[in-house]
Amino acid sequence: MKLIITDIEDFNLPVEGEYKVIKPQGGIHHCVGCFGCWTKTPGKCVIHDGYESTGADMGKCSEVIFVSRCFYGSVSPFVKMVQDRAISYIHPDFVIRKGEMHHKRRYENVIALSLYLYGENITEAEKETAASIMDANADNYDGQVKQIRFLSNTEEIEGLVL
Amino acid sequence: MKIALIDASLKAKGSTSGILLEDLRHCLSGREGMETVNAALHSPQMQEETWKKLECADVWIFACPLYVDCLPGHLLSCLGQMEEKYRGGKEIPVYGIVNCGFYEGIQAETALKVMQNWCAKVGFTWCGGIGVGGGGALPMMAAAPPEHGPKAPINKALLAMAECIAQGSQNGGWENHYVSVAFPRVLYKMAAQTGWRHEIKANGGKAKDLGKRP
Repeated sequence: MKLIITDIEDFNLPVEGEYKVIKPQGGIHHCVGCFGCWTKTPGKCVIHDGYESTGADMGKCSEVIFVSRCFYGSVSPFVKMVQDRAISYIHPDFVIRKGEMHHKRRYENVIALSLYLYGENITEAEKETAASIMDANADNYDGQVKQIRFLSNTEEIEGLVL
Repeated sequence: MKIALIDASLKAKGSTSGILLEDLRHCLSGREGMETVNAALHSPQMQEETWKKLECADVWIFACPLYVDCLPGHLLSCLGQMEEKYRGGKEIPVYGIVNCGFYEGIQAETALKVMQNWCAKVGFTWCGGIGVGGGGALPMMAAAPPEHGPKAPINKALLAMAECIAQGSQNGGWENHYVSVAFPRVLYKMAAQTGWRHEIKANGGKAKDLGKRP
């Protein structure tokens, strides 16, 4: 399954194969840093607003695709809040991976990460930062970066097939 | 000079970000002409009180946790609102302190770069930051002296930042510093994992539940 996390409310891009879309619907609560998703209801966020199961969804997918406005080289606040609320995808325990401390796997699936960042005037520095963040995400999820694309106008976004 | 110490933790109380800002405040205290004001960003919506505090400050210092290799989402939201308000306006010197639950402070580099990119977009002056590794241990070390022992490398970086702020050498005088708590990584890892087991048991669960797969 492909898991698409996007800040586009009326997202209707064509997607090949089985997929699920997480998009803005009814407001998202930000992560409050309680770690309840690790120590109260392991694997699931304790805030019930419709976004509590993203970590479990990530455990069932082969690819996570971010389609987001570029925010200084990061994904947008909405997409990031979804990501923040999904730290239960990983286990709280630590492992040493590539010589650095990262989190242990909770699930066995290896996620391929794709990033489509859109926005006018995305700078080279923002592009470099976005690539660094994706590499870091891949290390922490113990997954892989599949592709990163930067889109500067509506036509480019509408031409995507995910 | 008025310095805004901006706590951008997800937690309103007891956060590592709050501890680091308090330690920085100590490093700044006693210097002539320096005054600090505490501001908070704990939710995605900027509050009127915070706007007022930032408005009257000459230097801004953000402290937040590394969250999924970046800044937390609520802070990104606030930075977007600040960009709308201040883009092309006055040039504020900005510093960042990003703490990681991971041992290596260098893992905060991506988050500090996002902050730097934000400064470039708004027209603020990025003055550099500190990536703090092993931040999860700091709330347990409240009584430890800052100058010696496990907190010493962090305190040294905060003192250097305070000195840079005091000298006003924000234009090229500082590069990001990456430090870790002076405590063996293997022991830090063990202590963290023991902590999770205590916590899940306190919540009525079992250690093996930490690995549940809903």
